[in-house]
Amino acid sequence: MIEVVASAIVESCLNRLLVLEPELTRSLENCKHKVIAVELRDWQHTFALTYVGHQFIVFSQYQEHADCHISASLETLTKLTNPSLLTQLIRQEKLDLEGDLQLAQNYSSAFSNIHIDWAEHLSRYIGDAPAQQVINSTQKAHVQGKTIGSSFKSTVTQLCQDELKVTIHPLELEQYKMHTRHIKNQAAQLEQRIQLLLNR
Amino acid sequence: MKESPQDTADFGYKTVDREEKASLVADVFHSVAAKYDIMNDLMSFGVHRLWKRQAIACSGVRKGHKVLDLAGGTGDLTAKFSQLVTESGQVILGDINDSMLKVGRDKLRDLGLVGNIEYVQMNAEALPFPDNSFDVITIAFGLRNVTDKDAALRSMYRILKPGGRLLVLEFSKTNNEALSKLYDLYSFNLLPTMGKIIANDSESYRYLAESIRMHPDQETLKSMMEEAGFEQTSYQNMTGGIVALHRGFKY
Repeated sequence: MIEVVASAIVESCLNRLLVLEPELTRSLENCKHKVIAVELRDWQHTFALTYVGHQFIVFSQYQEHADCHISASLETLTKLTNPSLLTQLIRQEKLDLEGDLQLAQNYSSAFSNIHIDWAEHLSRYIGDAPAQQVINSTQKAHVQGKTIGSSFKSTVTQLCQDELKVTIHPLELEQYKMHTRHIKNQAAQLEQRIQLLLNR
Repeated sequence: MKESPQDTADFGYKTVDREEKASLVADVFHSVAAKYDIMNDLMSFGVHRLWKRQAIACSGVRKGHKVLDLAGGTGDLTAKFSQLVTESGQVILGDINDSMLKVGRDKLRDLGLVGNIEYVQMNAEALPFPDNSFDVITIAFGLRNVTDKDAALRSMYRILKPGGRLLVLEFSKTNNEALSKLYDLYSFNLLPTMGKIIANDSESYRYLAESIRMHPDQETLKSMMEEAGFEQTSYQNMTGGIVALHRGFKY
């Protein structure tokens, strides 16, 4: 049920995005009524998205045939805002794609070109000059926050990994994941063999 | 003269004449139609929207499909289906109750959904469509009000196209004892009181709670669908089994 709630939240956010950025409607013209399914490897769950002309519909636990089926981790999906990375991620086996590649590229390109004019939207409530002032200050705060955040993250990571030794290095985690995937595959093969022997 | 079981039907916990049940159910829905949506949100705390979302996700409805939303009431499913099938498809919102159909039609027109929706007053036991007409049929929270459920399922099977599917979204039985007790307490005490305060009609909401208890459980409904001819039948419990989504295909 959590997945259904998540799909409802994502759907209303995407539909809000359509209102805030009318250009998105034009960018998605070629995606109309086509279904793109996204399998989140970390959650082992498939969501699907379709654009019906003036709004998005998001499905959870999607088991039907989609025009394009993508399987990737959440982290990989966040990189998809750059459409040129799509083929690179497929080659790196971080992303599987079946079906209409063009559809995935269209979505990726449409979402990466979103530039919401926040000042324009805000000016309706507080006027032009104050809206511009608020946006400029927010942008400055965002850049400063990013710099402080990145330096803080790097310090904490070094502290946890090297000094306190309470967390493992990302490479070790990757190795562990590969190991578990290998064991999972071996177990599946063994299960298949046992099944074959039992069926004889 | 004593009535045989074939002549009677359940109306909540009461046993009534088969002929009489349809008009009693009609009275209930005439009475609740105007406040149906607001009561649904209040009674289910909005969760009915999530149950319906899941039914839509499992429907496989695509552009060009012909869909029958049976017992469609105020058109929650029809609204989404209408957008999914586009102008090249068609959605028929069917209900036995004209008050519900009127509320549904007004609501969908206010949403700007016109063009590919038709409104038909119909009895689920004898659907007025030719054989093999629909790609998808849904019946959400309606089957338990049908007098002869087997006849309704056979009728749905008849009008489905080969490869088409039926989705039955309906209240069901929870296996969780604690949840079951809480649910009983809520539906037999709180629900009629809410009905009395908001819709000034406690009896209709008492019937709702009773009809849910009298409805076949998950496995029974699954076997009823198989008897009607459906294949690859399955069900998915939601909210601990309070609601179940049954699915069956015609091949």
